[in-house]
Amino acid sequence: MSMKTIWIVAKKELVDMFRDRRTMLISLLMGPVLIPALIIGGGSLVSKKLRTQLESTLEVPVIGAEHAPNLVAFLKGRNIEAKDPPDDPDAVVRSQDADVVLRISPDYGEKWRRSEPAKVELIYDSSRMDSRIPVERLRAVLAEYSRTVGALRGINRGVSPESGFAVQITQRDMATPESRRGMLLSFLPYMLILFSFLGGAHLVMDSTAGERERQSLEPLLATPAAREAIMSGKILAACLFGLFNLLLIVLAFKFAFSVGPGPLRSVDVSLPVMGQLLLVLLPLVLTGTTLLTLISASVKSMKEAQGYMSMLMLLPLVPTILLMINPVKNQLWQFAVPFLAQNQMILKLVRGEAVSPQEWGVYFGTGLALAVVLWIIAARLYHREKLAISA
Amino acid sequence: MIRLENLHKSFKTRAGTVHAVKGVGFEARDGEITGLLGPNGAGKTTTLRMLYTLMKPDQGRIEVDGIDAATDPATVRRRLGVLPDARGVYKRLTARENIRYFGRLHGLDDATIDARIDELAETLNMRDFLDRPTEGFSQGQRTKTALARALVHDPRNVILDEPTNGLDVMTTRGLRAFLRELKAGGRCVIFSSHIMQEVAALCDRIVVIAHGEVRAIGTPEELREQTGLADLEDVFVHLAGLDSGEAA
Repeated sequence: MSMKTIWIVAKKELVDMFRDRRTMLISLLMGPVLIPALIIGGGSLVSKKLRTQLESTLEVPVIGAEHAPNLVAFLKGRNIEAKDPPDDPDAVVRSQDADVVLRISPDYGEKWRRSEPAKVELIYDSSRMDSRIPVERLRAVLAEYSRTVGALRGINRGVSPESGFAVQITQRDMATPESRRGMLLSFLPYMLILFSFLGGAHLVMDSTAGERERQSLEPLLATPAAREAIMSGKILAACLFGLFNLLLIVLAFKFAFSVGPGPLRSVDVSLPVMGQLLLVLLPLVLTGTTLLTLISASVKSMKEAQGYMSMLMLLPLVPTILLMINPVKNQLWQFAVPFLAQNQMILKLVRGEAVSPQEWGVYFGTGLALAVVLWIIAARLYHREKLAISA
Repeated sequence: MIRLENLHKSFKTRAGTVHAVKGVGFEARDGEITGLLGPNGAGKTTTLRMLYTLMKPDQGRIEVDGIDAATDPATVRRRLGVLPDARGVYKRLTARENIRYFGRLHGLDDATIDARIDELAETLNMRDFLDRPTEGFSQGQRTKTALARALVHDPRNVILDEPTNGLDVMTTRGLRAFLRELKAGGRCVIFSSHIMQEVAALCDRIVVIAHGEVRAIGTPEELREQTGLADLEDVFVHLAGLDSGEAA
């Protein structure tokens, strides 16, 4: 098997690929357009939503507002407007017409006058992400009101307002600015993994399954070129294409975070980090291409090969889902599990955390070993007699 | 010079094992055109696929210019020019690029390839479409491209699997003339067909194959004598056993 043959095959495949302009443009531009669109679009949507929910006047249906005029006035002073109550508060919350409903108990006035805890009730649905901020806002204002009134009552009775607080809670959030931004990026690893894993999928399948279907594989295999060399040339071409595609994606990624809305802009997209990102995705390009070549060599037709696509698209999601259900902390073995490893590496990079040499070692060692194993299996399949025969 | 000895090949299919080739053996000499004649499904293509090392025979021996195909398949392929049954060309490449690709795979340098393409384009009359992408080529243009691609390295032995399939009269005639040139140049040519007239018009020796077995080997005259029939088609039908209801 000679390098020269591999390069001859790779060069021809690249020429062939790039002459197919439309397919080429679709596969090359999909990632670089889609990813920034998601980052910029999604990012600005989220930050806009946050701003409106945090800063605009919050309208809350209040049941029994007449029992607590002072409270309602206090809420108004904190930018929360009481609305007329609905007939059925539960139904309104369930149908998502209101994020939260406040019910003031009829004996509120009575208890108030007796300086007993007067009851108010928040009706909301905690499983709705969207109502989290309004509920928190209302809860915070109610707590503030309670504290203020409590303190005043204490002062009236000659008690220090501070004696009302047995424990003072302060909070220290350990999220660094980088890691908080990382949260915004949780969907990004999947996108990057998917595009590097399957970015050139149909080109790969076309160069084996498609070539057989077009009946040009048999003459090709009748040349003196070794089958491994022919296969490796095809893999090399697809990898070069994949790398080029990846480069565009990483550049688009850099661009999106440089022009994206506020919190996104300070994500680390410096050249070293982008270079490392490229490096992380590299074994995936090789694995994806080799796996697809293996599949293409084992199936009977292009159609059958394409049938595997939906499964392959879900494959990178598996570790992400597992991590979502059962979050585990960073451990070395994770850098050996395909897809999970990429996931962890990308998150580390965009969070601005250092990747240890040991982690890099495990990552590349297992990544390349997997590619080699797939290559060997694919080469064996390439030697099957059935491979060339399409009819 | 090609020698096949007692070749056997069977395939496993869902319906059971199919014994496609049962003991085929013959010799194809240099400077001769050897015709492989048989009805569809007789085992011609499988025999040729074993010859150009796409398949391994279950039993038997193949020798090309004295080289054993089992021990040195790459060298055997180097000495063969093969026009397989499947003759797809790369439609986004021009005819010239298609031929050049195969030339490079045969290890030729670009100057040799260019000179050789010039030669082949002349003899095969391909000048008009040589630099056009092969997408939309006629059957004849495609076959010529595939043929030029197969012969770019000027092989000593030429194997053509039903080369005239789907070609019109004039292209077929041109192809025949070309094969006679190869023969005159001392090449060993093997040519498979299911049409007796075709083989008779061209071949020095005919190998009749049916049901995976060699039924007869000889010149057209010898086969006529052997069967006592005057009409070549009758000779073929008789030799292939098509008249006895044996055909599949």
